[in-house]
Amino acid sequence: MSTLIMIDHPPYGTWIGREALDMAFSLAAFDQPASLLFMGAGVNWLRKPQEAGSIGQKSVEKNLSAAQIFGIDAILADRAACEIYGLDENSLIKGVTLADADAALLSDYDHTTFAG
Amino acid sequence: MTGIHTLHILNKAPDHPRATRCLEMISPDDGLLLIGGGVLFLSTGCLPDAAKVFALTADVDARGIGHLSGNTSMVDYTEMVALSLQAHRVISW
Amino acid sequence: MTDTSTQSFTLVITGAPYTSQAPQTALAFARAAVNLGHRLDRVFLYGDGVHLASALCAPPSDEPHWPEEWSRFLTDHSIPGVACIASALRRGLINETEQKRYELPAANLRAPFEIAGLGDWVEGRIKSARTLYFHAGD
Repeated sequence: MSTLIMIDHPPYGTWIGREALDMAFSLAAFDQPASLLFMGAGVNWLRKPQEAGSIGQKSVEKNLSAAQIFGIDAILADRAACEIYGLDENSLIKGVTLADADAALLSDYDHTTFAG
Repeated sequence: MTGIHTLHILNKAPDHPRATRCLEMISPDDGLLLIGGGVLFLSTGCLPDAAKVFALTADVDARGIGHLSGNTSMVDYTEMVALSLQAHRVISW
Repeated sequence: MTDTSTQSFTLVITGAPYTSQAPQTALAFARAAVNLGHRLDRVFLYGDGVHLASALCAPPSDEPHWPEEWSRFLTDHSIPGVACIASALRRGLINETEQKRYELPAANLRAPFEIAGLGDWVEGRIKSARTLYFHAGD
């Protein structure tokens, strides 16, 4: 019953990314396998450092860094999207695994959803 | 109508980034069900030729798009329910 | 095939009424599923979808009243309708319990909708044969 939560909205402009994280953390809290896949502009959630206080929001960087401690199986980032947005191992938060967002990846999960 | 691995339900117009991503991640064993703004794909002719393509009649009619578009099957809500159960998995884009 | 036997669904609506088509597509799907003899375990409103549970929507009289139509459908078929508490409180969808807790001037949650946590979604995700999502189209 593994679930993949996909995030393709860019950071901080909408609440959909945060609400996707809440879904993944909820699954983990109920001991359900859950992973996150960031793709498209969504990979920018994984850039460090984030100073979201400048726009009156709480940074999600700490939440993401602690995701595996809270039971999230994996934080996946689409390799091609990371290249487009200039994200590499120096600029990505720790614990991120690069992956190719394709049909083969989807087939590893029996439930896949966006938060909105 | 059988043997669909994943049913992809797409309600985004063709120039929406998520529509592009959906088409990139479809495999030949999958089905694509166009609903909402997704039915506009029928007027572009840019559809994956491998996957089986369905379109929701109500949304096609609402947008004045003709029913004849290659190998696309028109479905109503009842058939949409059946499709969602026939597929092994469903992803709503 | 599984399509001929009775199956169970959890429907998740993330698009708001009058902002997106999501609630109406979901309602047409829900009616078709019930007519086919399938069971809806729960309808879960998430993100902007919680606006469907507002008792204060007042659309023009010549437009469908989606919150009212959904309420009637849920009541007629005894289907639980749940708005995610975190989504709802942020967006001003409040039941009487939360009104008292936060000392707010009003409550506006339309019956039979209830407010609960994401645990209800997780439960549906585990128990229902299919959990389907209805997102906004933009």
